Amino acid sequence: MRNKLISYVDLLFAGNPNTEDIKQEILQNTLDRYDDLIAQGKSPEAAYSLAISGIGDISEIIGSAASQGASDNQSGAKAKKNEGDSKLLRAVAVALYILCPVPLFIIQNEIGLCLLLVMVAVATALMVISNSQKRKEQNVYVIHLTPQQKLRKGIRSAINTAGLVIYFVISFATGAWFITWLVFPIAATISELVGACMDLKEEKNEK
Amino acid sequence: MSIAGDLIRGHTDAIILARLLRSDSYGYEINKTISTLSCGRFELKEATLYTAFKRLEEAGYITSYWGSSGAGARRRYYTITPAGREASGRLLQEWEETKDIMDKLLETRE
Repeated sequence: MRNKLISYVDLLFAGNPNTEDIKQEILQNTLDRYDDLIAQGKSPEAAYSLAISGIGDISEIIGSAASQGASDNQSGAKAKKNEGDSKLLRAVAVALYILCPVPLFIIQNEIGLCLLLVMVAVATALMVISNSQKRKEQNVYVIHLTPQQKLRKGIRSAINTAGLVIYFVISFATGAWFITWLVFPIAATISELVGACMDLKEEKNEK
Repeated sequence: MSIAGDLIRGHTDAIILARLLRSDSYGYEINKTISTLSCGRFELKEATLYTAFKRLEEAGYITSYWGSSGAGARRRYYTITPAGREASGRLLQEWEETKDIMDKLLETRE
């Protein structure tokens, strides 16, 4: 049980650089508590769960240690700049998505269609770059996705992909490119609605 | 331990400084003393304790050093600084005043 406790604390801090000292300190305090509880006659299982519940919420500590580490490497400002960059990339990508039918309005032939597809491709590339930047900064948090969050992420990307497919199928079938872009706002709305419904359900479950 | 707990937690820094005024100490020992003195009615979470240590250290009220005791256990001990002693006195005085005011405000007898 004592070893299990050590692995538990190890896992708690796993993937977080600059937290070795903090981990040592919290681990030692937790082991002290465990030994004390055993000395008081508690069963190993009871002492284990009591010791763990005595740790509390360490997310804030890890967060501040990570940002401190970042500024130690003088990359704190860089991280902020990256965040701004990734927001800008996303904004440009969304603008491209919205404006992509414009070339088709102006040049109503294959060239216009090609331009549209190029704009969509560039926008998608920007989104991917922006997301990977964001993930790099937030690697501390990414590993803590709950099953519900994973499910939600899956549903969201499924809806987005389905939207894209429907858009192209309808567009090519009907040739009504000037209006079929409406699929995207509709897909986004459905995606938000599903998210909201899941939020509501989760809240009810918690109650 | 809900409302009272929150009220006491608001004075975490004062409690830790008061403990360190007696002698150098480490996380679990301080928490154990807090638990004993409050007859098991109050205790701090490790995370809360650690955050408070960090805050006090940054404010220059305490310093820390690694010490080892017996069975290879490495413990981080904390010492109060002169500035910490001063702060502790100030916090104690603030608490006395707060207590005085609250006693008067909550007094129900005319």
